[in-house]
Amino acid sequence: RYVRQLQRLQLLFSPTAADARGARQFVEEAAQDFARRHPDVVLYVSPHSGPGPAPVLRAEYLNGTVRDELIASKTSEEIVQLATKLANQSGLDIIRIRKPFHTDNPSVQGQWHPLTNKPSILTVQGPRLQPQ
Amino acid sequence: MVVLSAARWVRSRLSDRFWRVQEVLKYARHFRGRKNRCYKLAVRSVRRAFVKSTKARREKKRFLRALWITRIEAASLEHGLKYPAFISNLVKSQVELNRKVLADLAIYEPKTFKSLAALAQRRRQEGFLAALGDGKEPEGIFSRIVHHH
Repeated sequence: RYVRQLQRLQLLFSPTAADARGARQFVEEAAQDFARRHPDVVLYVSPHSGPGPAPVLRAEYLNGTVRDELIASKTSEEIVQLATKLANQSGLDIIRIRKPFHTDNPSVQGQWHPLTNKPSILTVQGPRLQPQ
Repeated sequence: MVVLSAARWVRSRLSDRFWRVQEVLKYARHFRGRKNRCYKLAVRSVRRAFVKSTKARREKKRFLRALWITRIEAASLEHGLKYPAFISNLVKSQVELNRKVLADLAIYEPKTFKSLAALAQRRRQEGFLAALGDGKEPEGIFSRIVHHH
């Protein structure tokens, strides 16, 4: 069963700043539809009054990663697209994956060591013969 | 009075030079010497590093294939077979394993590799018998070919 990795989305913006216009339109028009379409994501809207930091969309994931996306001077549709992209991501950091595979047990028969194909007289210690 | 255009002697000055410089220096942080600190030297070094990394992607394939071949050669010599004999006899027995997989088997699955070497050796002996015996004996079991239609 699919478990959505996005825990909560926090919309931090100022109700008076000019570059937060898209954020305000998003809150008025599209936020409810978005929340209804993604019932397992909690959407927090926190306007802070007065001049403050740039409007930001903060996404927190189940593995603890917090991702901030700037929404300054973005239209409401762009913010909706950004929010759906964050909702479909997992919280793993976005770096180059070195190998697309991983095993905890790479060897079933025992990994090769220099004595694997040598006669067993070199490794096995027989019972110590009693002096008669 | 209303001024519709800026006066000609007013130029716009760069305000984010720091971040433009950091964008380049962040790729040079692990270099040696002044090229990890000084922008002018770092620009040249970073560009060369990127070009080399692009070209090296083609070389990496050749390098890894040579590495696999070395490892398979070492493993098959432990079992008394030389690399050309091993690979050719495996191909003749319709075992289509590539060198990457054979090298991994040689490291992590030594018994499987031993059985593959034995298979190649048996096919080799059957090949010799077929070439030297000249049709009097029945042809070998491992020389039979499966046709997939």
